[in-house]
Amino acid sequence: MALIHLTIVTPEGKHYDADAQRVMVRTTGGDVAILPQHIDYAASLATGEARVTEPDGNVRHAAIDGGILHVASDNVQVITRHFSWKE
Amino acid sequence: MAGASMKDIKLRIRSVESTMQITKAMQLVASSKLRGARARMEASRPYMKVARRAIWDIALHNTGAESHYVIPREVKHRCYIVIAGDRGLAGSYNANMFKRIEWDSRDANCCVIPIGRKAKEYYSRRGVPIITEVEKVEGLSLEKCAEIGQQVLDAYDNGEYEEIVLAYTSFVSVLTQKTKLKPLLPLDAHDAPERTNKQMLCEPDADALLKEFLPQYLAGLIYAAACDSFASEQAARRVAMDSATKNAGEMIEDLSLRYNRARQSSITQELTEIVAGAEH
Repeated sequence: MALIHLTIVTPEGKHYDADAQRVMVRTTGGDVAILPQHIDYAASLATGEARVTEPDGNVRHAAIDGGILHVASDNVQVITRHFSWKE
Repeated sequence: MAGASMKDIKLRIRSVESTMQITKAMQLVASSKLRGARARMEASRPYMKVARRAIWDIALHNTGAESHYVIPREVKHRCYIVIAGDRGLAGSYNANMFKRIEWDSRDANCCVIPIGRKAKEYYSRRGVPIITEVEKVEGLSLEKCAEIGQQVLDAYDNGEYEEIVLAYTSFVSVLTQKTKLKPLLPLDAHDAPERTNKQMLCEPDADALLKEFLPQYLAGLIYAAACDSFASEQAARRVAMDSATKNAGEMIEDLSLRYNRARQSSITQELTEIVAGAEH
């Protein structure tokens, strides 16, 4: 199964750096889900929820605050000011 | 005579001992602060790497490539964000930074944003225009960095200066720290990825993205540089205080030797006097 490599960083540290099935974030234009083989993409992020589907199908919820989403050949980067997992 | 010098030596030993206690304590404090500072520094590094790449990808994308964020202009005014120490007694940590900037800033009119008490003191003493200042590097918040980032970005957009440089000290190891001058705007061409013809989709568009993200990017960079510098400062202080403690130890050894010699010679003299008195 194809996977994306997801990195989530804030100035205070790295919060996720592993493969994922998909990631869903809220951009300033609305919710966006990134799946494998997405076109190279950049969008500004709003404050809202992010959902990460891990390779085993487990979905994790988190809060993000601004920043940008950057996709370059299946490397997905969420660069945000604040990040915290819901659990 | 011997007695007076014995007293002098004793006094000196005592004063060196108390100095040694202070340097020893400072070394311990620096060591423990260094531990925390290093962890924070390590944590802040990935952001730099990831954000740098992303911002270049966006900047090089269509219209962004011609923007004044990318194309260098002739530099008449330069703004330095100088991160130095909060305190002295850290070897040449502060002096190195100021010397490097003085050398680098010969070709343009400069203004500074000093971060850290030592930087603030240095530049206000020299009459360099200060835009805004931050008293403490330790515990510098992201919010404060964002404030500075926004401020320099606005001034840059208004054409008040043509270049913004971040001056900080990079932690290599406990024994080595390097002063670094990192161009913030226009974006550092060293970080630029190779140009490809790959299409990238930007939402809303590259310019808007750049406007939105640049302040955060600058804030992140300043924050990371502050973490790096703070770790460097603690390391520099630790090493400086370590050698000061060692020097004090050597001095005490030397002085005790002299003290013992003086004591011995005074005893010898007394004995000679007694013996000489008994013979008469």
